[in-house]
Amino acid sequence: MGESAVQPDVRSPSPTQVPTLIGQRIPKLDAPEKATGLARYVEDMKLPRMLYGKILFAGRPHARIQNIDTAAAKALPGVRAVITAADIKLVPFGFGRDNTALKKDKVTCVRDEVAAVAADTPQIAAEAIKRIRVTYQDLPVVASVADALADGAPVINPNVPDNTPFRYDYSHGDLERGIGQSDVIVEETYTLQRVAHCCLGTSGIIADFDATGRLTLYSLTQVPFLYKNDLARVVGLPPENIRVIQPPIGGGFGSKLDIHPFEPICVFLAQKTSRPVRLVFSRQEEFLAMPTRQPMVIRLKSGATKDGTFTFRDVHMTLDNGGHTSWGATTPWISMRTFSSLYRVPHVRQHVDVVYSNNIYACAFRGYGNPQATFALESQVDQLATELGMDPLELRIKNAQEPGETTGQGMILGTCGLRECLETAARNAGWQQKRSALSGQPSAPNRQSSTVNRQSSVVHGIGMASLFHVGGGAKIYRSDGCGTILKVDDFGGVTVLTGSSEIGQGSETAIAQIVAQELGLPIKNIRVINNDTDLTPWDVGVHASRTVFMAGNSALRAAGEAKRKIINAAAVRLKRKPAELVLSEGNVLDRATGQRLESIGKIIRGLHFGARNELVMTTDFYEPPSTAPDDKHMGNISPCYAFGTHVAEVEVDLDLGVIKVLRITAAHDVGRVINRLGIEGQVEGGIAQGIGYCLTEELKTEAGRILNPSFTDYKLCTTTDLPELNLSFVETHDPAGPHGAKGIGEAPLIPVAPAIANAVYNATGIRFTELPLTPERVFTKLKEARANQEPSRARKEADKNDAPTRTQVPSRARKEADRDAPGTQQGGAATHG
Amino acid sequence: MPHVADTVEVALVVNGEPVRRRVPPLATLMDFLRDELELTGTKYGCGEGECGACSVLLDGKVVNSCLVLALECEGSKVLTVEGLNTGDELHPIQKAFVDHGAIQCGFCTPGMIMATYALLQANPSPTEHEIRRALEGNLCRCTGYRKIIDAVLSVARGGAAHG
Amino acid sequence: MTASKAYSAPQTLQDATRLAADGGATLLAGGTDILPRWSRGLLERPEAVVDLKRIADLRGVTRANGEIRLGACTTLSDLASDPIIRDAALVLAQAAERVACPQVRNRATIGGNLCNASPAADTAIPLILLDAVLDLATAGANGVAQREVPITDFFRGPGATVLTPGEILTCIRFRPLPERAFAAWDKFGTRPAMEIAVASVGVALKVESGAVTHARVAYGSVAPIPLRGRQAEAALLGKPLSAETITRCEAAARDEIAPITDVRASETFRRDVVAVMLRRMLQRAACS
Repeated sequence: MGESAVQPDVRSPSPTQVPTLIGQRIPKLDAPEKATGLARYVEDMKLPRMLYGKILFAGRPHARIQNIDTAAAKALPGVRAVITAADIKLVPFGFGRDNTALKKDKVTCVRDEVAAVAADTPQIAAEAIKRIRVTYQDLPVVASVADALADGAPVINPNVPDNTPFRYDYSHGDLERGIGQSDVIVEETYTLQRVAHCCLGTSGIIADFDATGRLTLYSLTQVPFLYKNDLARVVGLPPENIRVIQPPIGGGFGSKLDIHPFEPICVFLAQKTSRPVRLVFSRQEEFLAMPTRQPMVIRLKSGATKDGTFTFRDVHMTLDNGGHTSWGATTPWISMRTFSSLYRVPHVRQHVDVVYSNNIYACAFRGYGNPQATFALESQVDQLATELGMDPLELRIKNAQEPGETTGQGMILGTCGLRECLETAARNAGWQQKRSALSGQPSAPNRQSSTVNRQSSVVHGIGMASLFHVGGGAKIYRSDGCGTILKVDDFGGVTVLTGSSEIGQGSETAIAQIVAQELGLPIKNIRVINNDTDLTPWDVGVHASRTVFMAGNSALRAAGEAKRKIINAAAVRLKRKPAELVLSEGNVLDRATGQRLESIGKIIRGLHFGARNELVMTTDFYEPPSTAPDDKHMGNISPCYAFGTHVAEVEVDLDLGVIKVLRITAAHDVGRVINRLGIEGQVEGGIAQGIGYCLTEELKTEAGRILNPSFTDYKLCTTTDLPELNLSFVETHDPAGPHGAKGIGEAPLIPVAPAIANAVYNATGIRFTELPLTPERVFTKLKEARANQEPSRARKEADKNDAPTRTQVPSRARKEADRDAPGTQQGGAATHG
Repeated sequence: MPHVADTVEVALVVNGEPVRRRVPPLATLMDFLRDELELTGTKYGCGEGECGACSVLLDGKVVNSCLVLALECEGSKVLTVEGLNTGDELHPIQKAFVDHGAIQCGFCTPGMIMATYALLQANPSPTEHEIRRALEGNLCRCTGYRKIIDAVLSVARGGAAHG
Repeated sequence: MTASKAYSAPQTLQDATRLAADGGATLLAGGTDILPRWSRGLLERPEAVVDLKRIADLRGVTRANGEIRLGACTTLSDLASDPIIRDAALVLAQAAERVACPQVRNRATIGGNLCNASPAADTAIPLILLDAVLDLATAGANGVAQREVPITDFFRGPGATVLTPGEILTCIRFRPLPERAFAAWDKFGTRPAMEIAVASVGVALKVESGAVTHARVAYGSVAPIPLRGRQAEAALLGKPLSAETITRCEAAARDEIAPITDVRASETFRRDVVAVMLRRMLQRAACS
């Protein structure tokens, strides 16, 4: 490991003559090839003699496989291989070791793989699949957690007779004491739905064996080195015989953190046919067979003293694990950290049950359990504010941690911009003025109101939510490190081989910026190679918002060593002291005067061809100073943490239940902005995903089957859904990060849904505890609330000295100032369409 | 390879070049471009006209090439993303997308650019609302659309965005 | 292009009717409904496709003798921007320009939208308001045999029309609404763009001397077919456009529609949405 892992180098700012790339708007290095259509994704690649693979999925949620007849498929001209579980060695994989590439005895969810073919064309492969005859004996369907836990429920996995493969428990402090200290307590159950990653590029892989039996995979994986090892075990090859090449991918968002059965299936097809095989999903297969975000039911109880100090949280989470286990089952490890550590809370207890069913299963998805937890927690914090009669902003600020605090779960918040994010987002959104203006209307929550009748059906609201997430990886594997190999050629061209992967998020550009800045070379001189495990050193993979942090630190140190070499060589050649020299824009300058002394290229050529005969080549492996969690889930799993606050402003059409997000104001503590263009893109993209999560997205299932496996009925945000955005970046300069930077990849998605839901509460007086907030769901609840309320009773303001109160505030129809006829959609039609 | 007897000849112009091939009767324009002509810039996103990733210009109008049969294009002019930039120079729309950070994974990009091209042909100075409506059929999962819209606005204000 | 049974693109209606008469031929207009069905396996890929788009007579909008003639193969985008349509039947243009997205509108045709016969067909609702008449053609003994069908008789059920095998929809005809009539159309979904309607409503009416003298109401996605709202119309005719009339009209609408629960929405929500949309349109009509 070489250098101390505890004190990563942080360069002090360069002398004023050296322009800095850090914080600039730098276009993505691979953008031109993507803009011209020349970037080749897996589905665009053809190898000589390549065959096309296709999978037969079970299409039924629970059944015994009695017989598979492949004769007709094999007989079809152009079919080169047909395989079933009987043709391969079945090695279980996945977090629960309960999945195999092909299923042998039974299928436990609709997307289970039963057979696969390789053929000359995709059309022949599709026809062959149709000709495979499978005889099933259908079994009773376990369609829900309740079904799975009922007496006499069918057993999904014979190794887990009670259908509950995992239980987690966590606590800090003393829950009973916390309850006793509370003046208000609220309790609510939150239901978070299945959503799909919907990467625009569908999943796929090419497997290609060479003459010596070495396997090359053109794979979409986000974790090439772990993947290589895991896949080696599954397909029965030594890991050193596998090379993983990563073409550009059409989106990741965590979907590519696991081995999916189609991947070893493609390898087996390539093995059987001795030809390269490409297997790519159709969009329908993508919806059917790719795991989703982990759905959750979260029962949360929490309390506060009358001055607004949080006292306790009691959490019970139930996860539908589906028919096999992927990373979804581990998302509670991250959810836990939100409940234990978003805001200061002295007493926390959590229990999680992960339960099998015959539903589809879940993997990693941007936020990894945090969006679900934050929806529950920040909705409830808002509810506490209502019960306490406090401004939700003040309540949050009151409990916000300060830099240097350690949370109850052992996370050390070195830099912590939570308070600043709250204040910045609130200020930029005009929080105080808008809340006052809205409370000036009759019938708003916490206002004194009475009237039911409304002249207008459109109301407005403002709400907020914060996030807490890891900012520099999460040490859940033996190593959380990243390696770099760097060389500078005779002309100042730099090649950076980084173990980290580029999944569209812009890490390669940030790495290039960091290296260019360090070496004083133009960014166009930097080539980043990050997509071939034969060339690049180890990295644990793209997840946990770690890549710019880890790969940036590693590249910074490797570049720093190269810089020292160059400066020392220049010092000798120019007969100066190294401290007097600086590198900038391809030249060696006098640090004090800025005078150009020599070109960097000449110094390097002098090293190479002169007496020393040395090249400038350096290596680095950066392991962060974090600790793996212990068996009580305690530990400082990340060297730094990300914070942020979103304020959402909404308009709600009370007659139709339509929520329109007008504006999102976001403030993120990112330590330091490396690429301003890239970081804005991450926030804007995360917000769009968050809006979809909150308002329109749900992969609906019934009796184990998927009801809406297409973009027609799975609703993503389009350009017309984008609200106004106001973004701020709080720079807390974390000493652990490269130039002080912390991770951002997942954070922007996390607080969006609760911010919107809290704004909807502000507008309507109704708390929604189940996502998505579709018009029908909102309309139905508004209708119920109208039916429940008594027309002319003034609402009593919550008495702060009351004993702990139950939370469901009766909804109230809103009366606005006189308005014209209800808002019209452009195009002349009357209502939302 | 499909048998000659199962195929039908079609002649059209793609990116300014005349093309004459035999295709299966029900081959889509998207499959023809990607598989037969190896112009893989046009992407398969859903095959059902719901995502816009396969957008191309057909006789000057933006269409989802997955919803068009190759044979329907007899005598037609098709423009794909590969036909926009000449030589080393990026087309102004492409340059705007690059410069504004409107590209992350890049999968939706060709379709977005073609829909943008079609918009600016018909309406060189669109408002933001018009841009949103013109791109409403192009899904993006990465960018949240803001920088895409900004890129299009920059080309619109700069004038001469096409040709 | 070599002639082929698998795909033909006749240039005259007569040729088209003869090719279509060959059982097993599938007519192709915009392709935006039918190609996804092939690709999803919901419909067998056909042995023979007859492309109607090269028949000049089937495209375009003309106006003569007070009647507007709309070629069945006119694309929705051409329809939406056509000056005759925008002048004489703005609601139809509004419906056409809210279908899907520009890429689909540039290919989808009004004829295809109608013959696909989805209960959600966006253009059917304004055409009901306009009392449109559909011209149908088949191969006849002496060339082409024609008949006409009012739009309210055209739909039989979801995906089903009165078209006989080999029959082709050629033209849609209607007269503009009465002068100074109020007309509105809207559809409702989960998001503003790319939506198959959860429910849609159209209203056309005229008020003279304080009473409704002309009323047409139509609904989409809330019955097996695009539905004319005769009970709602009856509640309006001869009455002043007062709050009381509007309430009664809303009740009539709730009563005569037959929405179902499906993956997009429940039956009760659809009913409520229709009522709200109708009420808002009538309130706007009352104000104007």
